[in-house]
Amino acid sequence: MTAVVGKPTKRIEGLGKVTGSARYTEDLQLPGMLHARLLLSPHPHARVTRLPKAAALGVPGVVNVVTEEDLPEGVSSNLLARHGEALYSGHPVAVVLAEAESAAADGVERLGAEVEYEVLPAVLDPREAMRDGAPLVRRDAEDDEEAAAHSTVDVKGGKETKPRNVANTYTFRRGDVELGFKEAALVVEHTYATGRLHQSYMEPHATVATLDPVMQAVVVYTSTQAQFYVKAQVAKALRYPESRVKVVAMTVGGAFGGKFMLLEPLAAALAVVTKRPVRVVLTRREDFLMSTPGPEAEIWLRTGVKRDGTLVALQAKIVFDAGAEPGAPASIAAVLLGGYYKTPNLLIEALEVLTNKPPNGAYRAPGAPQATFAIESQMNIMAEQLRMDPVELRLRNCSGTGDPMPNGRPWNRMGMRQVLEALRDHPKYRHRERGEGIGYGVAVGGWTGGVESASACIRANTDGTFQVVLGMVDITGTATTMALIAAEVLGVPVDQVQVVIADTDQAPYAGASGGSKITYTVGPAVKAAAEDARRQILAIAAAELEARPDDLEIAEGQVRVKGTSQKQIALAEIARKSMSFGAKYAPVYGNGNLPSPKGSPGFAAHLTKVRVDRETGEAQILDYVVIQDVGFAINPPAVEGQMRGGAVQGIGWGLLEAMTYDDQGTLLTWGFTEYPIPKASTTPPMETVMVEVASEFMSFGAKYAPVYGNGNLPSPKGSPGFAAHLTKVRVDRETGEAQILDYVVIQDVGFAINPPAVEGQMRGGAVQGIGWGLLEAMTYDDQGTLLTWGFTEYPIPKASTTPPMETVMVEVASEFGPFGAKGVGEPPVIPGGAAIANAIADAAGVRLTSLPVTPRRLLEALREREKVS
Amino acid sequence: MIPAAFDYHAPASVDEALRLLRSLPDAKLLAGGHSLLPMMKLRVVSPGHVIDIGRIQALCGVREDGRALVIGAMTTHWAIESSPLVRARAPLLAECASRIGDIQVRNVGTIGGSLVHADPAADYPAAVLAVEAEMTVVGAEGRRTIRARDFFTGVLSSAVRADEILTEIRVSALPPGTGQAYLKFPHPASGFAVVGVAAVVRLRGGRCEDARIGVTGVGPTAYRAEAVEKALVGTTLDDRTIAAAAEHAADGVEANEDLFATPDYRAHLARVFTKRAVRAALERAGRA
Repeated sequence: MTAVVGKPTKRIEGLGKVTGSARYTEDLQLPGMLHARLLLSPHPHARVTRLPKAAALGVPGVVNVVTEEDLPEGVSSNLLARHGEALYSGHPVAVVLAEAESAAADGVERLGAEVEYEVLPAVLDPREAMRDGAPLVRRDAEDDEEAAAHSTVDVKGGKETKPRNVANTYTFRRGDVELGFKEAALVVEHTYATGRLHQSYMEPHATVATLDPVMQAVVVYTSTQAQFYVKAQVAKALRYPESRVKVVAMTVGGAFGGKFMLLEPLAAALAVVTKRPVRVVLTRREDFLMSTPGPEAEIWLRTGVKRDGTLVALQAKIVFDAGAEPGAPASIAAVLLGGYYKTPNLLIEALEVLTNKPPNGAYRAPGAPQATFAIESQMNIMAEQLRMDPVELRLRNCSGTGDPMPNGRPWNRMGMRQVLEALRDHPKYRHRERGEGIGYGVAVGGWTGGVESASACIRANTDGTFQVVLGMVDITGTATTMALIAAEVLGVPVDQVQVVIADTDQAPYAGASGGSKITYTVGPAVKAAAEDARRQILAIAAAELEARPDDLEIAEGQVRVKGTSQKQIALAEIARKSMSFGAKYAPVYGNGNLPSPKGSPGFAAHLTKVRVDRETGEAQILDYVVIQDVGFAINPPAVEGQMRGGAVQGIGWGLLEAMTYDDQGTLLTWGFTEYPIPKASTTPPMETVMVEVASEFMSFGAKYAPVYGNGNLPSPKGSPGFAAHLTKVRVDRETGEAQILDYVVIQDVGFAINPPAVEGQMRGGAVQGIGWGLLEAMTYDDQGTLLTWGFTEYPIPKASTTPPMETVMVEVASEFGPFGAKGVGEPPVIPGGAAIANAIADAAGVRLTSLPVTPRRLLEALREREKVS
Repeated sequence: MIPAAFDYHAPASVDEALRLLRSLPDAKLLAGGHSLLPMMKLRVVSPGHVIDIGRIQALCGVREDGRALVIGAMTTHWAIESSPLVRARAPLLAECASRIGDIQVRNVGTIGGSLVHADPAADYPAAVLAVEAEMTVVGAEGRRTIRARDFFTGVLSSAVRADEILTEIRVSALPPGTGQAYLKFPHPASGFAVVGVAAVVRLRGGRCEDARIGVTGVGPTAYRAEAVEKALVGTTLDDRTIAAAAEHAADGVEANEDLFATPDYRAHLARVFTKRAVRAALERAGRA
C-alpha cells in the first residue's frame, strides 16, 4: 500500500511553464553577449568558392564572420561545412556574429547575396544513392568506399557487394525462410513507406556558451535532453578535458528525441574564438532545415502463415534514408519488426543509406513506428485474407517473456499479450459500429526499454524538507515523479521534497532523457537514495529516542515509536542535530552514510611582533608566525592560504575593523573608503607552520552524518513496454479525408507513479501517431530544397482536431522499475500509423502502404479502386 | 526570421494615419499583424516604417446603420464571430470568422487587414463576395466605396490604393427565406482555406430566387462562381440539381497548386464543397 506514489499529482514545473515564468535558453542575456546567425547552404551538395566576409563585416554591429577554417580543429565537421563543402541544403557554411540579432541577420543576408558555390552532384533518394556510379554523399568516405567495394556482406544467404553510400548494414537470421514459406498456406508481400518526420518541439534549438576565465572552462547553457552527453561531446570537439566543460541544462520546450545535441559544440567553439558569450538560437525555418528529424524508411516485407494463423516465416529488407551522416535506427527497426511475433524462420536485412539531406536524429521510439507500420499493416492484411479476427491473429503469434528477438536476445518480462487481451475485451472493440465510411483499426507496438546507470542524492534541510539532487533533464514531468518516489520512501508529503536538476559540475550522473528510461533508471536511484537517507534519519532518531530503528516510523513530520506519539522527534530537529554549527553533537562529515561520532578539533597558535609609535599611537606588525594543527594537508598550498588569510583577517580584528553607525542608526562605514581592512601592501611577513595530528575522521560535521542519501545503480535489464491502439475513422469518399472519430490507447505501464503524467504520455504519443498516420512528412523538391520549412507548410496534429481519446492502463509490474513502473514515453507513438491505416482499410476498402495517408493520396486510391472494379 | 530594423508609429486617428502614410516613405500599415509580420520576418517585405492602425478605436466594432450592418475594419475575427449583431444580421460572416486560423489568431487578426492583404486562401473574401458587402476606404481624395466584386484584383492585391485606408465593411440585410453557409477545407498546417465556399441562397415559393456563391483558395483571387449560381436560380434545389450545378464551381479558373493539393484535387474539392455549402445554406433557408 503506497501513500504518495500512484496518486495524481500536478507537475511541479507546470505552473511556471503555463504562466510564462519558466526561463528558457533564449531568455538568457549575458553581459557582452554576441548573437550568432548562420548562413545555410541553399544547395544539397556544393562547395563554397567565394565567401567575401567583408560583405557581412560592413554591416554596423557585425564583429566577426567565422567559417570552418576559423574554428578550433575538430569542431567543424558536424556543424559547419568542412572545407566549405555543404552536404545538404541547410548545412551551415558560415556564422555571422554581431552585437544585435538583427545586425547578425543583416550580415547573413548580405553574405548570402555574395557567396558563390560550385554545385556538386547530389543524391536525395536512397535508391538512387545505392546505384552503381551514384555520386558519393561524403567524399571524405571515398577511401572507405573503395575498401567497401572489395568487401562483401552476407545478405540473403549469398555474398553481395555492399552498394554505394550504404553506411551500415545489419542482417538477422533464424531458421530457413524459404522452407518456412513452403510451409505457409498464405504468403503476403508488400512494401511500406514512411516519411521523414520532424519532432516539432515548440522551442527551436537554442544554446548560449560562455567562458569562465577563473575555471578556464567553457559553460554551455542549452536546451538539451542529455546534458552529460553534451558535456562529453563539447569537450571532445574542443579537445578540452571534460572537467573544463560545464553544461547547464535549461528548461526544455519539447524535445522528443531531437535535442540530444546540435548547436552546443559550435556555440562553445564560437565562445572560444571570440572570447565572448555567444548566443545561437535557431528560427523555426532554420530548425527545420538543419536539425535532426526522424528518417524516412522503406520496408519490403514478406510473411507466411499457416491456415490456422500460425506465422511460419518473415523476410524483410529495411532501408533507412540516413541523410548526410550515419546513425539511422535500422537495427532497432529490424529487432522490432521481427520481434513482436514468434517466427521460427526469419531473415531481415537492414540498411542505412546516406543521402544529401540533413542528418537524422532520434524521434520518439526511433525506428519503431516505421517497423510497426509495416508489420502491423501486414498482420491485418493476413487476418483479412485468413478471415480471422485481427486481434486473435496477433494473440496467436505474439511473443512472450523469454521468446527470442531477431538478435537472439530474449524478451524481458513483457505485457504484449495483456494489452492485446485488454483490446480484445474492450467494449469499443467488441461492439464496433457500422456506418457509411466508418471503419476500425487496431495495431500493437512495443519498445524494448532503454537502460543506463544512474545516481541520485538526497539531502535534508534543517526545516525538515528534503532536496533531491539529480543530473537528469526533465522533459516529461519526471522531476515530479522523482519527488513522489522520494516522498513515498521518506514518509513525507510530496511538497516537502524539492527536486534540483543540477548542472554537470554538481549533479550526480544521469543518462539522457531518451529511451523511456528516466523513471525506470533514475527512479530506483532516487528510491535507493531515499532509503539510505531514511536509514540515517531513523538511526539518529533511535539514538535520540533511545529506541530501536526498527520500532520507528516517519509520519506527520516526526519520527516516532510506532503506534505512539509520546516518543517522537521532528525531522527538522534531526536535520538540525546533524548539520548545525556548534551543535550538541561533534562535527562529522561522512560519505553519505558514514557516521563520525567524534569531532576533530583544530587549534592554531600565533606569534606576533609589533612596533608601537608612541607619538602617533600606531602599532605596526613586523613579523607573524602562524602555527596550526591541520591534521593532514591534502592540498598544502590551499591549507597555507587558509592559515595566512585567517591570520590577516585577525589583524583586521585586532587593529582595523569595526562597522560604525551614527546615532540615527546610519551606517558610516558603507564602503571600502570608510571601512578599513588589511591590505596586501601592509601585510607583514608571515611564516606558517603546519602541525599534523591526524584526525580519526575526514572532516568536520555533526555527531551524525549529514542526511545525504546516495543511490547509484548500474544499467538494469530493460522492461519492454507495449501499447495497443484502437482507432475509429470516418472516410469522406468525396474529399479523401480520413477523420478520426474515436481512439483507445491501451498500454502496459507497469505501475503508474503519477497517473495523469502517464496518461499524458499515452495521449501525447497517440496524438503524434496521428501525425505519422495522416499528416506529417518533410518534403524536398528534386533540387533538394525543403518545401515544408515551417508550421504553415508542415502539418502537425493540433489540439483543436484531436479526437476523443480513452486511455486504458494495463499494469504488468516490471521487476526492476520503481514500484513496478516501466518506461512509458515511447510505446504510445508506435502503433498509431498502422492502426490508422488499418482503420482506413476497414472503412474504405483500400489499403495504403505509404504514410502519411493524406486526403489526396486516399482519394487517388479510392478512384484507382473504382477504376478496377 | 529576424526582421530588418523599422520605425513604429501608432496614430490615434484615421486622419493622423493618413498623414503619416502620405509623409513617410516606404511605409506599411499594420492591422492585426498576422500577415505583415511573418512577411517582415521572412524579409519578403522590409518597410522602413510601420504604421499601426490597429489601435484606432474608431475603426473597431460592429454597429447598425439603418438596415445595414457596419463592421469597423480593425474589428477582430473573434469580435465578429462572437457578436450577437453579426450572428443575427450576417451569420455567414460570423461563421466565416469562426473558421479562421485558431483562437490566438482570431483574437488579434482583423477583417480589414485580411481583406486588404487579399491572400488567395483567406476566408473572408468568399464571404464578402457572397453577401455582396461594400468596402469603405478613405484617402487624400476623400471617401469611396468599393463593391466586393471589384475589391480583389490579384494575388495579394486589392483595389485599395497605397495611400488609402479601409475603414469599414457594410453588409445589407438579407431578406427572409435566405440561407447562408461557409464551408471550408483547411490546410492541415496553416489552417488557410485549401478551398472555402460561401453560399447564400434565397427561396421563394419553393424555388431558388437568388444564389450567390463565393469561392476562395482555388484561384489567384476569390471569385463568384457564376455558372453555379445560374444553374441554381429558378430550380427547386433538389439534390441532383445542386450536384450538377456544383460541377461548375471551378469553371474557367486556373487552380492553385501546393504540396497539399494539386490543381485537379483543388478543383475537385471546390466542386464538393460548393455542393455541400449550397445544401447547408438551403437547409438553413428552410429554417429561416
